[in-house]
Amino acid sequence: MIHFDHVTVTYPDAVRAALTDVTFRVPEGELCLVIGPTGAGKSTLLKAACGLVPHFTGGLLEGRVVVEGRDTRDHPPRDLADVVGVVVQDPASGFVTDTVEEELAYAMEQLGIAPSVMRTRVEEVLDLLGLATLRSRPLADLSGGEQQRVAIGSVLTSQPRILVLDEPTSALDPAAAEDVLAALTRLVHDLGMTVLLAEHRLERVVQYADRVISIAADGTTVDGAPAAVLADSVVAPPIVELARLAAWHPVPLSVRDARRRAAPLRELLVGSKANRHPSAAGDQVVRKSPVRAAAPPITVLAARGVHVRYGRTHAVRGIDLTLSSGQVVALMGRNGSGKSSLLWALQGSGPRAAGQVLIVGPPGAAAKADPASMRPRDARLRVALVPQNPQDLLYLDTVAAECAAADAQIGAEPGTTRTLLDRLTTGVPDPAHPRDLSEGQRLALVLAIQLAARPRVLLLDEPTRGLDYAAKRHLAAALARHAAAGAAVLLSSHDVEFVAESAGRVLVIADGELVADGGVRDILVASPTFAPQVAKILHPVDLLTVDDVRRALAATR
Amino acid sequence: MTMHPLAWWVWALGLAVAATRTTNPAVIALILASVVLVVLARREDAPWARAFRGFLVLGGCIVAIRMLFYVVVGIKTAGAVLVDVPRVALPSWAVGVELFGPITLTGLLVALYGGLRLATLVVCFGAANALANPKRALRSLPPSLHQIGTAIVIAVSVTPQLATAAAGVRRAQRLRGHEPRGVRGLLSTAVPVLTDALSRSLALASSMDSRGYARPLTGRTDRRVSTLVVIALAAASMGTYGLLDGTSPRWLGVPVLAIGAAAAATASILAGRQVRRTRYRPDRWGSPELLVAGCGVVAAVLLVAATATDPAALDPSLSPLSWPQVPPVALLCAVVAAIPAARVFRRRAERGAT
Amino acid sequence: MRTAVGSAQERRTPAAARRDGDALPLGLRTVVVLGLASVAGLLAFGWPLVLSPGSGLEHSTDAPLVLAGLLVAVLGVVFVSLSDGGIDVKAVAVLGLLSAVGAVLRPLSAGTAGVELIFVVIVLGGRVFGPGFGFALGSTTVFASALLTGGVGPWMPFQMLAASWVGLGAGLLPRRVRGRREVALLVGYGAVAALAFGMAMNLSFWPFQLGTGTSLSFVPGAALGTNLHRFVLYSAATSLGWDLGRAITTGVGLALVGGPVLAALRRTSARAAFGAGARRAPR
Repeated sequence: MIHFDHVTVTYPDAVRAALTDVTFRVPEGELCLVIGPTGAGKSTLLKAACGLVPHFTGGLLEGRVVVEGRDTRDHPPRDLADVVGVVVQDPASGFVTDTVEEELAYAMEQLGIAPSVMRTRVEEVLDLLGLATLRSRPLADLSGGEQQRVAIGSVLTSQPRILVLDEPTSALDPAAAEDVLAALTRLVHDLGMTVLLAEHRLERVVQYADRVISIAADGTTVDGAPAAVLADSVVAPPIVELARLAAWHPVPLSVRDARRRAAPLRELLVGSKANRHPSAAGDQVVRKSPVRAAAPPITVLAARGVHVRYGRTHAVRGIDLTLSSGQVVALMGRNGSGKSSLLWALQGSGPRAAGQVLIVGPPGAAAKADPASMRPRDARLRVALVPQNPQDLLYLDTVAAECAAADAQIGAEPGTTRTLLDRLTTGVPDPAHPRDLSEGQRLALVLAIQLAARPRVLLLDEPTRGLDYAAKRHLAAALARHAAAGAAVLLSSHDVEFVAESAGRVLVIADGELVADGGVRDILVASPTFAPQVAKILHPVDLLTVDDVRRALAATR
Repeated sequence: MTMHPLAWWVWALGLAVAATRTTNPAVIALILASVVLVVLARREDAPWARAFRGFLVLGGCIVAIRMLFYVVVGIKTAGAVLVDVPRVALPSWAVGVELFGPITLTGLLVALYGGLRLATLVVCFGAANALANPKRALRSLPPSLHQIGTAIVIAVSVTPQLATAAAGVRRAQRLRGHEPRGVRGLLSTAVPVLTDALSRSLALASSMDSRGYARPLTGRTDRRVSTLVVIALAAASMGTYGLLDGTSPRWLGVPVLAIGAAAAATASILAGRQVRRTRYRPDRWGSPELLVAGCGVVAAVLLVAATATDPAALDPSLSPLSWPQVPPVALLCAVVAAIPAARVFRRRAERGAT
Repeated sequence: MRTAVGSAQERRTPAAARRDGDALPLGLRTVVVLGLASVAGLLAFGWPLVLSPGSGLEHSTDAPLVLAGLLVAVLGVVFVSLSDGGIDVKAVAVLGLLSAVGAVLRPLSAGTAGVELIFVVIVLGGRVFGPGFGFALGSTTVFASALLTGGVGPWMPFQMLAASWVGLGAGLLPRRVRGRREVALLVGYGAVAALAFGMAMNLSFWPFQLGTGTSLSFVPGAALGTNLHRFVLYSAATSLGWDLGRAITTGVGLALVGGPVLAALRRTSARAAFGAGARRAPR
C-alpha cells in the first residue's frame, strides 16, 4: 500500500538531508504510527507519502515512494487526491469554505463528482464521524475536536484508501482526542483503511498501533511491531519507560496488559510505601526540585470572588484562589470550563466583571496591588502570562533582536534574556527567525522574554502543545527552578503526564467554578480521566511518574 | 433556500437603466420608492444588508453636492431669480470660471433632478448589494474564472478570522508590557498578523492541493482562447472609441462592441471547458428568480420604449416651469418594479426551498 | 536506486524559478493582453476627454453603466487569459490571504473612498511577487473588500482596474534595488500611484458629479486643453485635498511598515518555491 524504497529527502538550501535512506512497507489496513524527536523528520515523511514533497515544497527526493501503485514522482498531490487524504495539525488553517457541509463537499467538487453522488457521500461521512448535528454550523464556531473531525471528514468524502495525519490530537483535550482516535480506529477496522499517523503524545495512541516507524535525529528509520520498536526508542510513553525499568519483555502497550505484569512490582512498592510519609493535602512544597527553596513560603497572589463574563456567557463564577511562593500549581478542566479566562483575568489584561486580585510586588516594594489597575509595563514585573499561541508575542526578525527588545522594554541589562534562553534550551542561534524555530524553542524564547522581568507570579496557558517528551522535561525543570527562586507558577494543561511531573498542587475547574483543590497525588490518582498511566497501572499504589517509581524502588534497597 | 443572487442583480440593473432614461423627478421618485419598498420587504438580517443605509446617505450627498456646485460654479442662465448673489470673477488663471451669481429656481431644479437621477442609480446598486448574498454570488462565477474566484472566496472567508487574530495579537503584545500605540504599536501588531496569514496561506494551499484542486489543468494554454481574448480586447478598445467619438462611423460603435462581447464569451466557454469541477448544491434558477429578473427587465423596457417613442410625455417640464407630470407608463413601470416585494412570492420562494 | 524526482530542470530545483520569484509568470501573450486591456481602460477612464458631440453617450447618463459594464467585461477577459492553463495553487492561496489583509485594512482608512491603506498591501505584494501577481492582487483586494462591506457600485470596476495598474507598476520597478533605497523607491512610487489613482477616479466620475451645467463641467468635443484645464480646477476644488492625503498616507504607511513586511513576504516567497510544482512551461 505505502512503499518507501531507499528514500532520501533534502530540502532546498538545507545543510543535511531531512530523511536518510528510509525503507519500509505499510500493508493495507494497518494503523502505522510515526514517532521521533522534534525536528527528526516526521512531517517530511508524511509529506513524502502524499506527494507534497517534492512537488509542493521543492527539494530533492531520491529513491521511490509508491502509494497504491502510483509513484509520487509522476503524480503530484492533486493526482493522489482520490487515494490519499491528508489532515494537518491545525485543521482551521486548511478550511476553504464556511460551513461544515460545504467543507465536506469541497474535495468532491474538485474531483468533478456528480452532485447526486456528492449528496450521498456527505451524508455517509456525517454519520460516520458523528457530525450530523453540526452540518450547517459555521466552521469558526466549532470546538477543536469537532474541527479536527470535520477536517478528517473533508478528506474522507473522496473515498481515499490511505489517511495521513500529522499530530491530530495535539491541540485537543483528552475527551476530544479519544473521539478522534476512536473514529480513526473505526476507519481502520471497519473500512480497512490504512492510516499513517505522527504523534508526540503517545500514551493514548500506542495501544492501537499495528506498526511503528521510529525516526532518529539523523533521519534514519527503524520500523516494525510496536513492542519491538518502542523497547529501544528514544521517544517513549511512560508505560514503556516503566516496562524498561521493571524489565518486562515484551513491552506491554496498554494499561490492561501492563497491569497483568505489574503485580510483583506493586507488592514491592506497597512494602516500601509503608516507610514513607503520607502525602499532605493542602500546601505543597515543590515536589522534586533539586534546588531548595530559599525562603519560607509567602502568599504571592490572593484572588477573591473573581467573575468573568463575555456577553451572555458567565465564564468564571466567583473563584477564590491563593498562590504561595515556591509552588507549581496546575489548573485542569474540560475545554470551555474557564481556564483561559481565569488566567487572563488574574494577569489583569482579561475582562474581569467582579472580584479582587492582589499580587505582591518585587522584593523591596512589597505592597500588594491589583494588576488590572497598573500599566502593562508595570504589571508584567509582578505577573507574566505565556499565552496559548506564544508566537503572538514575537514580531521581530531574529532571536537576537527579540532578546534585545525584551531587555530594553524592562530596562534590564543587555543579555539577560539571552542568558535565560540559553538556560532553558540549547541550540537557538542568534540570527534565526523566530518562526523557523521548533515549538519547544519558540516556547523557550517566549518564556525567557517573560521571565526576564522576574515576575513573582508566572501563568502559562496550555504550554505543552506540540512539545515532545524531552522538551516537556526541560520545561518542568525550568518551572521548578523559577518556583524555587521565590515565585509561584500556575499553568493550565490537559496533559496529565506533564502535570504529574511538574506540579505539586492541582486545581480542577468545571463550568467556571473550582471543584477541587488539593495535592497532585490526591487529585490525580482519584479520578479516572486525570490519572496518569503509571498510576493506572500501579493502582492502588499512588505513584504518578516513572521517576517516582524509580525513587521508591531505590528506597526499598 | 433564498433567491439566486443574480436575479436581484438583474432586477436592480434593470431599474437602474429605467431610472436613467429621464430627469422627470416624479418618475425617478416612483422608481426610488419601489426600490426602497422591495429592499425593506425582502432583505434579511445579514451583514451585507446593513450597507443599504450607507447607499441612501450617499445618494443624499450626491444630490446635495450637485446643488452646491450649481450655487457656486454653475452657469447661471436667465430666469426667475430666487436669490440674487453677486458674481465673483476669478483671476486669469481660472479663466472662464465665475463664482456665484443669481440663483434661479430653474437652475436649482435642474441640479436637483440631475442629482436625483444619479442618486437613484446608486441606490439601485445599493439595493442589489443588500439583497444578494455575496458569497452565493461568487459561486456563480463561470468556470473559466475558477481560480481567481477561489482566491476571492478565500479572501472573503478568511477576513473575519484575521480580525480576530489581530485582536489576539494586540492582547498578547500587552503581555510584553507593550502598549500598542503609534508607529511601533502598528508594527508589532501588523507583522505577526501578516506572518500568520502568510504561513496560513501555504498551509491552505497544501490542503487544497492534496484535495485535488485544479486537477485537470494541464498547464498548456489554449491557443484558441488566446486569439479570441486578443480579438475581444481589440474590439473593446475600438468599440469604446467609436462610441465616444461622435464623428466616427456607425459601425465602429455598438456593432464592434457586440463582436467583442461574442469573442469574450466564446473564449470564456472554451477556457471553462478545461476546468472540470462540479457544484455541491447548485443555486437553482427557478420561477421566483425568473419573476424577479423579469420585473426588472420589463421596467427597463417600458421606459426605454417610452423615451424612444414619446419623449415629451416624460419631460421634466422645466421650461415653462410647472409641476412634473406622471405619465401612466411610469406608474406602470414603478408597479412592475415593486412586484418582488409582494408577500406571496416571498412565501413561494421559501416553500420552494431545495 | 538513486533517481532524482523530475529530471526537468524547473521541477528539480526551484532556484531557477525563484530567480524571478514570480507567482504569476507573464509571457508574451499575457503582456499583449494586458497592453490591450490597458488601452481599453485608458479610454474608459479618460472618456470625458475623448467624448465628442454626436456620440451615443453624450447625455452622460448611460455612461456609468455602459463603461462599468465594459470594464467588467475587460477585466473578466484579462483574468480568463491569466488563469488559462492554471495558476499555481500557492499563488492562489497567497493572493487570497493578501486580499484578506487588504480587506481588513480598508475600513480602517479614513475618507470616503477609503482605499489608502490597501495600496500599501498592493504595492508591497506586487513588488515581491511580480507584476502579474500585483495586477491580480489589485483587483481581488478591491473586489473582496467591496463584497465584504456591501459596497459594490458602478465605481467598483474602475477602482479594480486602477488598483490593478498600481500593482502591475509596482512589479515593474527595478528589481535589483534592496534595503533602504528599495523602501524609498516604493514610498515614492506609492505616493505617486495613489495620487494618480485619485485623479483617474476623479476624471472618470467628473461628468456624473457635475453634469454639464456648470462652468467646471466638461464640454464634449472641446479641445483637450480646455477640458484638462477645467478638470484641474475641478480637482483642486474638490478632491485634491483627499487625493493628496491619500498619497501621503500611502507613502507614510509604506515607509513605516515597508521593511519588515517586505522581509516577511520574501520569506514566504522563498518557502513557497513557486515553480517547484509547476508542470507548466512559462508562457
